Parts: sequence; structure tokens; C-alpha cells
Amino acid sequence: MTTRMIGEPIPRREDPRLVTGQGRYLDDLGAGALQVAFVRSPHAHARIVDIDVTDALDVDGLVAIYTYEDLAAADEAGSSHLSEPLPLLIPHPDLTHPRTAYPLARDEVNHVGEPVVMVVATDRYVAEDVCDRIRVNYEVLPAVVGLDAAIEATHLVHPDIPGNIGAHMVQERGDARAAIAAAPHRLELDLEIERSASMPMEGRGVYARWDADDRTLRVYTSTQAATSVRAAIAAKLAVPIDRVEVIAPDVGGGFGVKVVHPWPEEVLIPWAAMRLGREVKWTEDRREHFISSAHERGQKQKVRVGFDDDGRLLGMEFQVWHDHGAYTPYGLIVPIITTTQVLGPYKPGAYRGEFWSLYTNTVIVTPYRGAGRPQGCFAMERTMDAIADYLGLDRTVVRERNFIQPEEMPYDHGLVFQDGRGLVYDSGNYPALLDKLKALVGWDSFAEYAEQARAEGRRVGIGLACYVEGTGVGPYEGAHVRVETTGEVVVATGLTTQGQGHQTMLAQIVADELGVPVERVTVTTGDTRRFKYAVGTFASRTAVMSGNAAALAARKVRAKALRIASEALEVDPSDLEIVDGVVRVRGVPSSPGAKTEIPLSTVAVLSNPLRYAFDAEAARATQFAVGGSSEEPPVAEDDEPGLEAVDYYSPPRSTFAAGMHAAIVETDPETAEIKVLRYCVVHDCGNLINPRIVEGQIHGGVAQGVGGALYERMVYDSAGQLLNASFMDFLMPYASEVPTVETDHLQTPSPLNPLGVKGAGEAGVIPAAAVFASAISDAEGFAITRMPISPSELFELRERFAAGEIPPLRSRSGHISGEGRFVRAKEDSR
Amino acid sequence: MEFLAPTTWQDALAAKAEYPDAVPVAGGTDVMVGINSGRLRPSALLDLGRVTDLTDWGLDGGYLRLGAAVPYRRIIEELKDKAPGLGMAARTVGSPQIRNRGTIGGNLGTGSPAGDCHPPLLVCDAVIELASVRGVRRIPVTEFFLGPKRTAVAPDELIAAVLVPPADGPQQFAKVGTRNAMVIAVCSFALALTPERGWVRAAIGSAGPVPTRAYTAEQFLTEALQQDGFASRSGRGDVALPESVVRRFGELVAAAASPIDDVRGTAAYRRHALSVLAQRTLRWAWESYRGRGDRCT
Amino acid sequence: MHLNCVVNGEPRQVDNVWPGESLLYTLRERMGLPGSKNACEQGECGSCTVYLDEVPVCACLVPAGQAQGRRVRTVEGLAEATQLDPVQRAFLEAGAVQCGFCTPGLIITVHDLLRRNPRPTDEDIREALAGNLCRCTGYEKILDAVRLAAAESEVR
Repeated sequence: MTTRMIGEPIPRREDPRLVTGQGRYLDDLGAGALQVAFVRSPHAHARIVDIDVTDALDVDGLVAIYTYEDLAAADEAGSSHLSEPLPLLIPHPDLTHPRTAYPLARDEVNHVGEPVVMVVATDRYVAEDVCDRIRVNYEVLPAVVGLDAAIEATHLVHPDIPGNIGAHMVQERGDARAAIAAAPHRLELDLEIERSASMPMEGRGVYARWDADDRTLRVYTSTQAATSVRAAIAAKLAVPIDRVEVIAPDVGGGFGVKVVHPWPEEVLIPWAAMRLGREVKWTEDRREHFISSAHERGQKQKVRVGFDDDGRLLGMEFQVWHDHGAYTPYGLIVPIITTTQVLGPYKPGAYRGEFWSLYTNTVIVTPYRGAGRPQGCFAMERTMDAIADYLGLDRTVVRERNFIQPEEMPYDHGLVFQDGRGLVYDSGNYPALLDKLKALVGWDSFAEYAEQARAEGRRVGIGLACYVEGTGVGPYEGAHVRVETTGEVVVATGLTTQGQGHQTMLAQIVADELGVPVERVTVTTGDTRRFKYAVGTFASRTAVMSGNAAALAARKVRAKALRIASEALEVDPSDLEIVDGVVRVRGVPSSPGAKTEIPLSTVAVLSNPLRYAFDAEAARATQFAVGGSSEEPPVAEDDEPGLEAVDYYSPPRSTFAAGMHAAIVETDPETAEIKVLRYCVVHDCGNLINPRIVEGQIHGGVAQGVGGALYERMVYDSAGQLLNASFMDFLMPYASEVPTVETDHLQTPSPLNPLGVKGAGEAGVIPAAAVFASAISDAEGFAITRMPISPSELFELRERFAAGEIPPLRSRSGHISGEGRFVRAKEDSR
Repeated sequence: MEFLAPTTWQDALAAKAEYPDAVPVAGGTDVMVGINSGRLRPSALLDLGRVTDLTDWGLDGGYLRLGAAVPYRRIIEELKDKAPGLGMAARTVGSPQIRNRGTIGGNLGTGSPAGDCHPPLLVCDAVIELASVRGVRRIPVTEFFLGPKRTAVAPDELIAAVLVPPADGPQQFAKVGTRNAMVIAVCSFALALTPERGWVRAAIGSAGPVPTRAYTAEQFLTEALQQDGFASRSGRGDVALPESVVRRFGELVAAAASPIDDVRGTAAYRRHALSVLAQRTLRWAWESYRGRGDRCT
Repeated sequence: MHLNCVVNGEPRQVDNVWPGESLLYTLRERMGLPGSKNACEQGECGSCTVYLDEVPVCACLVPAGQAQGRRVRTVEGLAEATQLDPVQRAFLEAGAVQCGFCTPGLIITVHDLLRRNPRPTDEDIREALAGNLCRCTGYEKILDAVRLAAAESEVR
């Protein structure tokens, strides 16, 4: 029997290359190509008065200098569209004031790092020396930095966008304000999350070749959306789309930032390659990545809730001020997710979600792993803790009482999700998850431990957070599966991979569906030469979308293989099975060469009637070798040559994964340093395809969560300069910071798709800020309302707490009793 | 740009005299960051990695003499007993890769207010040997740091060696960073204690324009130890320091700092953390002196 | 300037080396060895870790000229013919690779750790790895790989 592959933690197919230095990432390609560097704006907000390149012209090795004027001239001379703003990728009716950047700044720059001049030279050092000699004269304008300045709107980022407001959106189910007003208890919370960023180890990069004879453009780019980059390049450069090939080579991490497209560089580099008739390459350096790609997370939030004596949410109003940076190419995806996924596993009686998406003179904000969910989770979980504290209840009890129950699935929240579809949870078992988490972390015995620690002069705290994550959003993905005459199976899907092990995971699915050893399956992703219709890799969607598409395509291939084999073996297809790459009659012991079995390789040969023989296998399919009726066409009317199939998976709506995390932290009573003692995860992403890969995704997500909660932030000064734009000061965690992650799984299959799977890619990061805020609050005895938190900030909070400016929590682990409130309930002034 | 690769000390000094704006490079851990980012474009790089005089340590009179190009890794592995404070500080520098390459001379030459080796050198009264074709001069480390990234090294000079008096009592070093590893200090502190002779040395890093001694705190502690007879040999082994003394010491150390608010922390936090580090290191050092603590140097 | 050194056991000579360029640039752009990765150019990420005279260093912080007459070993030179190094095998078996960009540097770092300390504690491992950033794995399975490689070399 072929071992069933789905569910097996097999080693990854990708890795032998990667551990020997044979991976080929963008910057490893194109040796000898011309190199590009950009002059980028040093100002957050300025008018470009003049660009003087005189001093740069005599640098040895300079090939070309381009400014906006060159783009405009090119548009006029040909049919390109580079002088227009870059596309608004995801329009939305509530995005009333969208704005996107020009590929090279036109008259104005709106954030530090915006590209102004492109330089092409023989190598990167020369290109950068040229950049240093180009003088751009700016008239500096007042910069809008931070949400407070954006809301205040004393100055505007774009003069024609009043109040710096790009969008204002409200979604409501029931009359939340009335429900809150009528509730026995009310609380109000003001919360804040700072900016962070995806920060993959490999930055962005683009390498383009134009074959003038063949009139074909090939572009390699470190992207999460190859097919869509292709469409964008074809449109912007006015090249017929069938002459454009886009390939994502090995990609060194994405985490969201590489789903944005086309980046200015993704159209400019191919344009330069076509114009110069030379290979042209640009590899982003780390500082460029900090100031010219994208960030996420920055939000201010206000939560108002009304609840009953048991802590049940009767009404919730959630207001979000979302900092989207200088432009809105990715629309409203992040704040929509925040204001819908805030609901997590809970069912407030009535809900009103409202956000303002605001312009600032900072780098654009687009999805970073979690994509708005960490902020929503933070808001809801801080609220749950506040209610528990207010009522003097255990934090898990309040959560339990608000859970959607398994028997209520599918559960319709009555809201519209980020995919334009209903926010309807397909399946899940939240009480079971919480039970598992409590057991894993030892929730009920923690008070005793905390009491003991306190007696030793140590401060420890426990925290938890729960989330539900819409994964596998549509509209669709597809896959192509072909059995070669060697018996090798090649699979292609259009979406891209950035290290998640997609090739292995998809090979496992196809191996099972077809009945072939997984070693014989090779998967290609993100290569438009191999698969042209795709959406991209984001929203934890690959296993759900391409996984199911690959399964469906493999099923078609299997059906065809059984049909051909049944004719060859003269048995009914329903009596056949495929085991280890051999089609055979069920229940008959294997006997190679017997009339009871036929290898898939032979089936593949038979599927393709040939005139010409080029090897022994092919000879068996040539016109004088095959028998059959001479009246029938060699390929039947409803058939096609080849043992291959394409299929697509397009779900009605997202599937919803869930999880719960708990952490135990220790805070130094003197230095306020924060140490993670334990971190526990329970997770439900439906059926597991490769548990080891899923674990890796969880671990990686948690590490980014730890970073986002305790170390990473983007520090802008009031002039819009990013003060910590390097790995020296943007502190990502090393092995010395990330705790061991203890995990447990629950598998609640999705009823929406054939494999019963849900996405797992983003889960690990979502609740981390909320978990740490909960645990640090528990250790300290006052509520943490702003993340991330550094020792310096915790020290400051302690000072304010000691001065009576922050109210104490009523109850803490290991403390018998306390007084006060999480936040003071304010009387509703309306 | 030129790459000068002398193999003898004389050639190195001659090269520096000829190219006063040549940037000396040994481990490259600071210089190359500047060059890679485009911030630094010197007319020449002066590679000191092949000058063997610089890469060894030994005894020199009453001093332990460390060639300027001795890397942190060797300080940690070979000198942790002879220069314990320095050894502790070296261990907190960067990452293993950085400690394999980065040198004590480079740490001094960069002159960063956050240089981890500076406070321990200050508390052990180290002497810096500078050389040029004009000759050799030795200056106390207290006179070495002139301002942020400004030092007493003249344009034609190179740092030859660091001379460290042998430790004659417990030494401690501690720093606070936002991350556990590979982190620039939010603040750092070093302490050397020689109660027999009744003196104390305390120094602060990353909390002012230059690393600095905390003289008032030193004086207070020295007097407290002398007045209360802690320093006498007879008292050894059974006397704990009064909490009031420890606390006051911490306060005075904090008062000696002149920190700023930046991305790593606020001035108020730095002062507070320094006071905590001062108290902790004092307790450890005292325990060590009493021969009881497991943090014995 | 010229540079002569031995890379992965082979004597190499390259010309026209810019004196300010890093060993990483020379390896990647002039010697056709792109295995060592460039992710920060300031020694923070460890993706470019190589052996220089058998000492692990960040190649981005080594002026190329300092490699004159020295031996360099990169991730490409770790496997013997088709036989993977035990550390490489352990990374495969433990699932310690995701995007793979930090992997070459980590493999050199781990290789060095196990040469110096064949039976590291978890604390030793975390300290030794604290110069290599990985954004994908959360380090858990990398730690597994180190433990596995240590255990296997003990068996041999």
C-alpha cells in the first residue's frame, strides 16, 4: 500500500537545495545585469523644485538616469502608462479619497524613501555613487506624522483630501449603542498598537530581460503575486500579456509586504530593460526596505461595551483610527479585517464597527502577517480581561460565556468580510480549544505558583487570548497536474511561495489523490509560464485554495488514468486502484507485467497517440503500434491527448480557523525587563496536511508576535524620519528571545472544501500582543493598553501607577484581593 | 580608495603618517557598516589585521598589555580571570560572529558612548597606548573619550595597546538592553572593588555623551566602607552592607549620568536602571569579596 | 586590486576588487558563490556567516582585502561531494528550513558550535545562535536540528 501522505510530517522537498546554498533568490540571478539604485526622498513631505544631474553625468559606468519627465515622455512617444499613478488594487465604495503614488515622484513626495530618480549603471556601487551626485531641490512642507497629527489635520498630506481621511466605514448589526446604554454594566477602553513590519530576511528585488527579437519580456521578482504582477506590467508597459513572463524565484520570506504590486520598481526595472535592450536588476537594501516598502499595525482604538452580571456582551462599539501611510494601493483590507475579526470566537448581542483610515506622511501600510487581526484581537481580548476584572471573574470564565457554541455553526455575524462575502463561520469548537489551553498551560494552578513566586520577590503573570481567523479567501486558485511518460508527476499552481513548504504540502495532496509516491511529484509555484490564472499568496490561503485545486485536478487525472487503464486491462474502472504509481485490479496481488496491472507511466504513453517515436516508451504509442478501431479518431471527440488536467477551487466564502494562546511572563521588579517563561498554543486549522509544516508556521508566527509585542516598532520623529531603520535598532528576536512554544491541536474540518482544511499561516502572530498585555497586566496589577511595550515603557507605567494615575486591577493571580477597576466606567454622555 | 596592508607596526605607523585620513580597520565590525551603507568613503583603509604586535596580549611591567587588535573572543576565553570586568563586558558585545572579529582597539577607536568595553576599562584605571611615527604616548582612559565618537587619537596616531592593571578585587559589569542578545546597551555599568585599600571605581556607559566615572558615588562608597570598618580585613566574611549604603550608592550613580531620551529608552529609565545596576553589581561584588557569592570573579 | 585566497579548498584569484568591498560581495558577485546571503550589511543578521581561517565571521563585515592569503569556507563547501554534512542533514530532518534565506549562515554557525561544543545545552545553543536572525521558523526547529546533529555525531 502507498502510505497515506496527507497528515504525515514528511521532510520538505525544497530543502536539499536550500541547505547547500543552491537556493536561487532574486539577487542570486542575473550576474552581469545592469544595476539600479534610486534617489529617494529624504523628506517626509516636500515639493520637488528641481532635479540637477549635471555632476553625475561623467561617472564611469553610468548608463541612464530617469526621472518622472522621462516616464511622461515615454508615455507620449509610445503607449505605456508610467506617468499615471500606480493602480488602486482593491477599490471600495467607502474609500472615498484613494491616492496612489507615481512610479517616480511627480511634483511632490509624501514620505521619506519615495523614489524620485532611477539610476542604471554597470554595478550597484557605481549606481549609488551617481545617486550621491544628483541634487534634488525640495521645498519642504509640513509633515503629518502619527495618528494624532492625522486626526487633528492641522496639516494635510494631500491638500485635496480634507481631514486626511481616506475612508470612513461603519458596519453594524443591531443597535449597539442602544444595547450598551441599556446594559447593566459598561466599560470604555482606549487602546493603541504601534507600527511594525513584515521584515522578511530577503527584501524586494526585480530582474528583467527583454528579448527584442522574440519581443518577450521576462521578469523575475520577489513577489507573492506573480500572475497579477504580470497583468500589471503588461498594462503599464503596453506589452501584450502573452509576451510577458513573470517568475517568483526562491523567495526569502514575504509575510505580506510582497503581496503589494506592482511596486514602482516592478514596472520601472522592466521598462528600463526594454528601453536599454539590456538585462537590468534592482535589489533592495535593508534601509530601502525600511523606508520604501510597507509597514502595518498602527492603530488607535476605542471600545465601548455593555454587559450583564455574568459578563455576557450585550453590545459593543468599536472605533478604529487606522494609519495607512501616504498612499492607499491596497485599499481598506487591513481596517476591514480589524473591525470584523475583532469579534473572534464571541457573539456580542449587537455590534457597531467603525473606522477612519487616515493619511500620514509615512511609508504605506499594507497587510503584514495577521493583517489587521492582531489589532482586533488585542481590542477584544483587552475588553474580555477588563470585563473579568470589573466583575471579579476568572478571565477564562468571561470568555467561555461569550463563546459561539459548536452547535451554532455555521454562525452568521451579519457583517461583510474583507472578501466582500458574509462573515459566516463555517465550523469550530471554541470551548474545546479553551479546555485544551487551560490544561496545557495549567491555568487553574497558576495562582498557587504566582503566590509562591511573589513570596520570593518575583513578579509573574499569566495571560491568554483567543482569536478566529478567516483564511483561504477567494476568489479562486487553480492547479495543473500532469503524469509524464516517465511516471513523474508535475504539478503547477499560480500562486507563489515564500518558504511555507507549499511544494511539499501540494505534493502530499497530489500523491494521495493519484496514488503515487510523493518523491515522484514535483510542484512549481509562482511561474506564469506554467500557470497563468491565479490570485496570490496571502490570507493563509494556499492549502485551502491551491491545495483543493490540486486535489480536484489530481482527481480528474486519476479518473482519466483509470479509464485508459480499464480499456487496456479490459476491466471496469471501478475495479481499479492506483498504488505506488501502478494502476491495478483491486484485491489482486501485484505482479509486474501481468494483465492485471499497468504503470501510470504506460497510461501516460497511451493517453497521447503519436506519429513519431523518440524513445522506447513513445514507440508504444505510435500509429502502427497501437491497435483499436481504425474507424474511431485516435483522440475521441470529448477527449484530449495527455494524462493531465487543470481544475480550480473557488469557495463561496472564507473558512475560519481558530486558536488560543497563553503566556506566563516574569517582569523584573527593578529594571522592568520582561521575560517569557512559557508560551502555549492550541490551534485548529481543520485537517492537517503536514503537521510539521503547520507547527513551523505556528512557531514562526509566535516569534513575530513576540517581536511585535516586546521588541519591534517603527519610531518616527515629528519630521517623519524613521529613526530606527536598521536591524541594529529595529529589534527582531533572536533565538535568545523566542520562548519554546508548547502546542496542541484540535482538528475541526471545514465543511466548505473537499480536503476539510483551513489556513494556518498567520495564526501564530495574531493573539501575541493581546496575550502579553494580559500576562504583563496580571504581573503588574494594572492594565496594559498600548503595545508593544519595552522595559523603558513599563518603568514609566509603573511610575504613573505609583502616582495614582493608573487604576489598579481588582484581581491578580496570586493576590488575594484588590480594589479598583481595569478602567473606570464612564457615564455615557450622549 | 586604497587598501593598505602593512605587516609590521613600523609600516603601519608610516602608512598612517602618510595617509592621516586612512581609516584603520581590524575586525571591520564598525568600519564596514559605515562603508556598506555609503556613509563612510575614506581615501584608504588601513588593515591592521596582519600586524602581529597588535593581536597578542602579555605582561608589560605591572600591566596586562592587550594589543589593540585582540578580539573580544580571546578576551572572554583567555583573560576573564585577569581582567574580569572586561571579560564580562566582552561577553555582552554583539553576536558570536562579532566577538570573533571585533577588537578592543576598535571599540575604543569608534568611541561610541555605548561601547561595552569602556566602563570596565574606566574602573580598572586602564591606560591607552597611542603611537605614531612621532613616538609613543600613554594616556589614562579617563582622558581618552572627548565626545560622542570623538577620541584623543591624533590623525597620525594608531591605538597600539590597552594596559590594564591586574585585578586586585572583585569586578562587575552589567548592562540593560531591550533584547537579550546582540543589543546596544540602553545603559551599562562597571564596578571595581578593592576594599583592602578602601577604594571603589564605578563607571557608566550609554548614558551620556561619553562613558564616565561616577566620582561622587565612588567617594561616598569609599568613605562608607572606611568609616564603618567594612574595609578592614578583620571584618571580612561576616559583614553585610547596609541597604541604606547600597541604595545611596545607586542614587549617586544615577545622578552622575547625563542620559537622553532616544529609541532605546527614556532618560528617566536610564537613570533608574543605572541605579538598579549599581546596586546589583555592588551586592554581587560585595558577596564575592566576602567569598560567598556564586558570582565570584 | 587583486585578491588571492583559498575558497572551499580551491585557490582563487580575482581582479579589480574595490578596496572597500566586502568579502560577501566578492564571493557573491565575483566568485559565483551566491550561497551566502546579504540581508543587512551590518553584521546583525548572520545570513552571510562564513568561515575565515576556520573562524565564523560575517562576510559582509570583512573587507575583501583581509581575505588575502586566507582560507574561506562557505555553505557551498560544507558537503563532501554528494554527502551532506551532518548539520545539513539535521536541518532537513528537523524541518529547520522555511524560506531558506538565513539557512546558509545558520548552518555555518551551527557547524562551528558543534565543533567547539559537541554537546551543547539549550542555553549554549540559544547563545551561539544569537547572531543569526530567522524571520520564519521561530528557531524552535532550528534548535531541534542542533540537538539532532549533536546526538547523531555522538552516535558516530
